[in-house]
Amino acid sequence: MSLTARSTRTVTRRQFLRACAFVSGGLALVVACGPQPPAPAAPKAEAPAPTAAPAQQAPAQKPAEAAKPAEAKPAAAAETPKKGGTLRVGFYVEAATMDPHLSGSKIDRQVYHNVYDPLVILDTKLQIKPNLAESWQTPDPKTIIFKLRQGVKFHDGTDLNAEAAKFNFDRMATEPKSVRKGEIANIESTSVVDPYTLKLSLKKPDSSLLASLTDRAGMMISPEIIKKKGPDLERDAAGAGAGPFQFVEWVKDDHILLKRNENYWNKEGGPYLEQIRYRPIPDDTVKLQSLQAGEIDVMDYVAPRDVAAVKADKNLVEVDVPSLAAFWYMLNGTKPPFDNKLLRQATMYAIDTEAIVKGVWLGVGVPANGPISSSSWAYDDTIKPVKRDVAMAKAKLAEAGMPNGFSFSVNTTNIPINVQELEVVKAQLAEAGITMNFNLMDGARLLAEGNAKTFEMSTYQWSGRPDPDGNTYQFFHTTPGTSLNWSGFSNPRADELLDKTREVSDQAERKKLYSEVIKILQEEAPVIFVVHPIEPKAFSPKVQAYDPIPDGMMRFKDVWLK
Amino acid sequence: MGRLVLRRLLATIPVLVLVTSGVFSLIHLTPGDPVEAMMAESQDPVAKEAVRAQLGLDQPLYVQYVSWIGRLVQADLGRSIRNHEPVIENVTRRIRPSVQLALMAMLVSLAVSFPVGILSATHRNSPLDGFGTLFALFGICMPNFLIALLLIFFFGVTMRWLPISGYVDPLEDPLAGIRSLTLPAITLGLALAAVITRTLRSSLLEVLSEDYVRTARAKGLAERLVVRHHALKNGLIPVVTVLGLQFGTLIGGAVITEYVFALPGVGRLVVDAVFSRDYPLVQGVVLLIALGFILSNLVVDVVYGWLDPRIRYG
Amino acid sequence: MADASAPLSRQSSVLSPPSVLGPQPTAVRVRERRWVLVRRALSARFAPVGGLVVLVAVLVAVLAPVLSPYDPLQQDLANSLARPGGAHLLGTDNVGRDVLARVIFGTRVSLIAGAVSVAIAALVGSLLGLGAGYWGGRLDDVAMRLMDAVLSFPPLVLALALGAVLGAGLTGVLIALGVVYTPTFARLMRGQVLAIKARDYVEAARLLGAPNWWIVKRHVLPNAATPIVVQASLSFAFAILAEASLSFLGLGIQPPQPSWGSMINAGRGYLQQAPWIVFGPGGALFVTVLGLNFVGDAIRDALDPRLRV
Repeated sequence: MSLTARSTRTVTRRQFLRACAFVSGGLALVVACGPQPPAPAAPKAEAPAPTAAPAQQAPAQKPAEAAKPAEAKPAAAAETPKKGGTLRVGFYVEAATMDPHLSGSKIDRQVYHNVYDPLVILDTKLQIKPNLAESWQTPDPKTIIFKLRQGVKFHDGTDLNAEAAKFNFDRMATEPKSVRKGEIANIESTSVVDPYTLKLSLKKPDSSLLASLTDRAGMMISPEIIKKKGPDLERDAAGAGAGPFQFVEWVKDDHILLKRNENYWNKEGGPYLEQIRYRPIPDDTVKLQSLQAGEIDVMDYVAPRDVAAVKADKNLVEVDVPSLAAFWYMLNGTKPPFDNKLLRQATMYAIDTEAIVKGVWLGVGVPANGPISSSSWAYDDTIKPVKRDVAMAKAKLAEAGMPNGFSFSVNTTNIPINVQELEVVKAQLAEAGITMNFNLMDGARLLAEGNAKTFEMSTYQWSGRPDPDGNTYQFFHTTPGTSLNWSGFSNPRADELLDKTREVSDQAERKKLYSEVIKILQEEAPVIFVVHPIEPKAFSPKVQAYDPIPDGMMRFKDVWLK
Repeated sequence: MGRLVLRRLLATIPVLVLVTSGVFSLIHLTPGDPVEAMMAESQDPVAKEAVRAQLGLDQPLYVQYVSWIGRLVQADLGRSIRNHEPVIENVTRRIRPSVQLALMAMLVSLAVSFPVGILSATHRNSPLDGFGTLFALFGICMPNFLIALLLIFFFGVTMRWLPISGYVDPLEDPLAGIRSLTLPAITLGLALAAVITRTLRSSLLEVLSEDYVRTARAKGLAERLVVRHHALKNGLIPVVTVLGLQFGTLIGGAVITEYVFALPGVGRLVVDAVFSRDYPLVQGVVLLIALGFILSNLVVDVVYGWLDPRIRYG
Repeated sequence: MADASAPLSRQSSVLSPPSVLGPQPTAVRVRERRWVLVRRALSARFAPVGGLVVLVAVLVAVLAPVLSPYDPLQQDLANSLARPGGAHLLGTDNVGRDVLARVIFGTRVSLIAGAVSVAIAALVGSLLGLGAGYWGGRLDDVAMRLMDAVLSFPPLVLALALGAVLGAGLTGVLIALGVVYTPTFARLMRGQVLAIKARDYVEAARLLGAPNWWIVKRHVLPNAATPIVVQASLSFAFAILAEASLSFLGLGIQPPQPSWGSMINAGRGYLQQAPWIVFGPGGALFVTVLGLNFVGDAIRDALDPRLRV
């Protein structure tokens, strides 16, 4: 997964433009594009990454001492954590909102995971563990009963109890601007059984729900603060969360400041840091240079072209993990030319994702076989990414009655690595006689054209969700009207399988269902899967005990500064 | 003079009307939609419609325009769609780094252009003049993001003399603040220096050929004194003009510099607002920038007319 | 001072047109014959160099297919970021394309971007300025207020929004830059026309009953044309730079076609590991813009007799 010995290598980066493009859009999806989550830089190869697995050696488990990044770092545990200090985090783009119920931007989540505590959390294997909820039961497939931890307070001092939790679920369902409605759509009602027991009644079984509650949908906000601040919560979250750090201030485009929550319920380990200061630095070269110069301690994402240099830099620690993300090209199946399955297939076979991952991503990622990332438990490594086959592409063209090829245009944002990737794709397609024209635009327009289905082909970067449902259902299940199913894909068998994955709770069985879905997707080609990117992060050596979770979110509770 | 100011102020009104309708129609014509951008992950068209209605975006455009103007007249610029902050607060917070940066850029440009411009003019067609011309042009022969990256590379990464990114308010911490603005100010200042040097050089050349300067020379005054006492004062007028006009431009026009150095200025604010289709924010900020530009023009004109009574405005 | 004071100065923010002419634009009296001007311009210090640079740039643009050692679009992923020298004189870029070939072909786009946007601005601006200055009254008010409005718009925002409305691509950029530069020309032309209109011989012609079109053609245009040419040559340099700034913001030529601006933008992340990606187009841009400035300066000096010290 990591780069082995490529010294000078290429690959553009996304950056300023991504930044602008997505900036405030709060386009989680798009935002996913560059800086993605990492997964654990874990020592044990936790992901059956098909290609790059051998490189797993590289990442240091935890940024520890001024160690050379290349040697796995065993020593972190030996030292006693020290309290205090300000951790300065460099981000590629400004956050969009401080209200988790309204957030559609990935970058927001980075902050939320330190401010807002969710009901349940993920471990490094993406398994779900208790957090605010001490335990839960599912007496029947349509009921979940949470037992909440007692004595937990929000930062404003109010109690976090079942009443507060119900308030949160109700708000997610009814607030007009709520972006969480999709994730909790299967919740019929929420009821308070006793002050610390919350019951969710579902419309139908939904085995992906619990995973959603590890993130924004499960993050509890103080009802008092919501009532008091109203829409101002979007830019001032003081007192709102119950996490290890509390919000202090947000000076837009300059910084977000958090401070330690002295009353955090979990007394085990941290929080050690006095403060966390997030800064958006839109240009990623400048961001890396700021890290090298000691102006920041952590950077959220290292562009593939910089990975080798960062690894070679003794003064930096690189942590490099597969993410849950999947990047693909949407093909609009509702209008020509891609309403013709043969042309979709021809395009798919003409593209060489392996060459792209090697030459453009420089191995900082793996070729995608489908929407589910290689770090997920549902990833099926027996299904290979579609292999390039120019003869097959030409045969499909001929069968479609277009032996001389056809032309179409692709919508993309001006993220350098996207552009570079598409330049390569354009050359590959040309070899099969297919002409692709560029249509560079900003993020807001890309979204609008996607939702309106007026595009032909569009790049798409999904940051990924812990449960495979979040990478599949909304994109490939038949949905009338506007949805993330931009390709307008509708396949009865796929619908049936996707519905079933929500009903079944056994992971092995769900994995089989997803595998079948992926086979259908590879045959029908509503989208062309490109890459599951790795999201390298870089640290100053003084940052200790960072434990990456494969959803890419940087949780700083136990982190300390040497 | 009072009449002139009044007339110019009145002439501002139609310009502002044009600016408001221009920015309004441009941003609304731009494909994309703030709600779509804000609720990118939501699959719920009903919810999106509700939000649109709440923001008044479902109204016909002319109704939206009229209601915006209606609120403007009451000095209400509205709130950002994105984060609900009043537009005016957004701008007042961001104007400070922008003004500071513009002032520092001007200082940098003056520090460069004065010696170069004066030497070039007094040694016309000498190698010194040639060198000066080249030096002055340097700043406008490269895209400024490239200048910025080169500066960062040399002064920030290699030499470690100056901070690379971020903003510290010089009013709160003068030393750190000035350091944080130095590289961006040089980036902008180099380009500005090119403008000023040229202006100064040609206006000095012109003044030096005027009769009264010749007279002074004929009286046997040392060339240095001629320049200092006679030429420079009059030669400065156009420089003041250019500086004044540039100031307005620098405030809203330093977008790329603000991006590269991660400074929270007005230029970045408005470009980000365009990208997220934050209509009220774009409209409000553009209007304020335009107003600032118009006023700085007015001030320049008035000062100019006052400095040089020969000028009459027709 | 009132008239010649304002040298054609330029703006610092890259995109802004070099518009600042001072409050009262210059009416340069041009009574010399053109060839005298040309000779004077050429005698200016850097003018021959500037002229040569511009000439070479134009030749390169025209002869690109002949001069280019490679196809500028031909990729070779296995040979990306190759150092300059050997088979690739200026090295290769991040997908293994020959930088020299792209710089050569990029000349076309950059020169077109400069020429067309300035031509649009000069044409539209001159017409507006001419109308406003010559006929005055309501037309003058409307046209000049419109120009003021365009001028007071932050130029990058104007270009960005126009580019987004018009759609990405070279056309959008050309029009956007054209609009941004128009007020400069309109103001300049208007000032010229006002000054010329007041001349005795024009008054006389009018009194003698000469038709407007004749006066414009015979007296106004010839006199106003030269400052417009100077302004155009300076704006040209700015437009080439502006193309680079716009590609920074994602507007501009569509990949994979090369332009200097888009190449610099794509390469700016490699300044440390492969600076040649930027230095090729950056150098070309630098030299060309410098050359254009020399030419503009020389013409301006030549036109202004008082500067003959």
